[in-house]
Amino acid sequence: MGAVPGMTTLIEVDGLKKHFPVSRAIGEVLAGRRPVVHAVDGVSFNLHQGESVGILGESGCGKTTMGRPLLKLITPTAGTIRFDGADLAALKGPELQAFRKQAQLVFQNPFDALNPRFTIYRALAEPLVNARVPRDEQDELLLTAMRRVHLSDVGQYYDKFPHQLSGGQLQRVVLARALVLVPRFFVADEPVSMLDVSVRAGILNVMREVRDTLGLTAVYISHDLALVRYVCERTITMYLGIVVEDGPTEDVVRRPQHPYTQALVKAVPVPHVDQSREPLPITGGVPDARNPASGCRFRDRCPYAFDRCAEERPALKPVAPNHRVACHLLD
Amino acid sequence: MPPPPPILSIRGLQIHYRTDRGVIRAVDGASFDVPAGAVVGLVGESGCGKTTAARAITGVIPANASVVGGEVVYDGRDLAGLSHRKMAPLRWREIAFIPQSAMNSLDPVYRVGAQVLEVLVDRGGYDRKRADARAAELFQMVGLDVKRLRDYPHQFSGGMRQRAAIALALALEPRLIIADEPVTALDVVVQRQVLDLFKALQRRLGLSVILVTHDISVVAYVCDQVVVMYAGKIVESGPVEAVLTRPSHPYTMGLYNAFPDLQRSGGTLVPIDGSPPDLIDPPKSCRFQARCPFQQPRCDAPPDLEPVGDDHYAACWRADDAAELRRLAESPATWERSPA
Repeated sequence: MGAVPGMTTLIEVDGLKKHFPVSRAIGEVLAGRRPVVHAVDGVSFNLHQGESVGILGESGCGKTTMGRPLLKLITPTAGTIRFDGADLAALKGPELQAFRKQAQLVFQNPFDALNPRFTIYRALAEPLVNARVPRDEQDELLLTAMRRVHLSDVGQYYDKFPHQLSGGQLQRVVLARALVLVPRFFVADEPVSMLDVSVRAGILNVMREVRDTLGLTAVYISHDLALVRYVCERTITMYLGIVVEDGPTEDVVRRPQHPYTQALVKAVPVPHVDQSREPLPITGGVPDARNPASGCRFRDRCPYAFDRCAEERPALKPVAPNHRVACHLLD
Repeated sequence: MPPPPPILSIRGLQIHYRTDRGVIRAVDGASFDVPAGAVVGLVGESGCGKTTAARAITGVIPANASVVGGEVVYDGRDLAGLSHRKMAPLRWREIAFIPQSAMNSLDPVYRVGAQVLEVLVDRGGYDRKRADARAAELFQMVGLDVKRLRDYPHQFSGGMRQRAAIALALALEPRLIIADEPVTALDVVVQRQVLDLFKALQRRLGLSVILVTHDISVVAYVCDQVVVMYAGKIVESGPVEAVLTRPSHPYTMGLYNAFPDLQRSGGTLVPIDGSPPDLIDPPKSCRFQARCPFQQPRCDAPPDLEPVGDDHYAACWRADDAAELRRLAESPATWERSPA
């Protein structure tokens, strides 16, 4: 994708693949076959400085796997990722440490993300200690991070243990912990899926504020289009390890171009009695990622599939400014 | 038009859990009806008592829980506190259960078909030949290939398992189905497919259903009636359309404003600050008081469910001002306090 005028690229993902080996049946062992799951199978995109991007998809589409190599938490099978121009694969020593400070992960389950034996203070200070931030600078950084997540009355929280806080407070602490080092980039994987609706809204609002005040580049991984729409200006839809649509969130929600995105938008439930109850255009669920179909991976479920879809994998092509879609129908 | 007579009528239901910390009053005086042939959504957030209340109807509650008060009248009989032995003939035949994750209802070491047959033969008195035919019929009804009866549960996708759980629940033609978060674990596309199937079968078979969920969009999509629970109490109930378009309890208003809505563009989601009270020592006031932006001194006394419209009830002293409160509730400033 060409650079957007006035925006600097922070992350460049090029031809990223991540395959995982799966356990083999006896026949496969004898035949010397090593089957793999193509969790991410050739993904390229750029993330611009200050951009909030949602990675949308259903279980098994590869969205969670997609987030990990962006933080150098797993090694890709193929492809490169550049952060601020530097190839992540080559980062070592002090450079890697510097990267770790700038790129953070916000965990999905706040109840698991914090060590139950650590006080909130210790949990928050841990990243600072690991990054060798001088002791006398730590308290100020902690206070700033806690203010950003609206837990400014820190005296109330520092000496508590995780089990003494509510789910919403815990997720704020998890977010504060990701912010103490003032990163430039974070990946949040289903950041509110474990929380009740009434609490969820507060966390999403904090995430929007943080994005705006810190100018962070953020990737939100979610199956929930309504959530992605709330916090992301751009949405990348994945299906079976590849990107099928990538565009401004409002365009994707209002005028989805790929048949899969169209079905997703239609399927999202809304809290009104008065809503469309037409059957969805697609049937079945996301198939096994071990043997993806030739050509277009969505063709088995696509109501519009034709001959070419079996023969040729559609490339992501621009359909509008900053909007790309991988579908032969659009040629 | 008078509502049809209820198939199930719950009155003053109280369920306590004994724990090391004390007695948790999980359900504290819940009353609602399930009209015959209707889908009633029992909605609320974690710990509000919705699952406990629904499970108590079939007597399937954890060992440390007990029904300490109230009635569960099914077809004229009080089921509350009935022994397992006396409940047994009603299960599957009259009242069937669909759990959140069908992995919990399907045994991983037996073929799915064997489990359907077990219900048909052991519980329903089917002979083997008729049971085979019925199992095939059930799989067709829920859109599963009859050949898949020979599969093990792990060979099914999440959506297929949920379909199998529906088939199992329908096996002995019950009249009332209790479904606990039946689509929560599913992806949106599959969720929609399962809800469409469920609704079609419910209509065709004239089933009465209690659908437990935290998701008001699921309620909007399939339910006729909704019962909103908060901290062990029912705060609002009524026809789905009335409750969603004219919520009359501040909690329902808050829940609605906090819910992301793909049809509503822009706007801000408004959280409800604070958390629900500890049900070991619940406040004597209205239980929502501490989080309610509209509280007044009279809220120190707990309000009862009172009619606010046609078949529509709310437990709020200010229900008469509901229109004004709804307007105020839309503004984020109304709800701003210290974070939860």
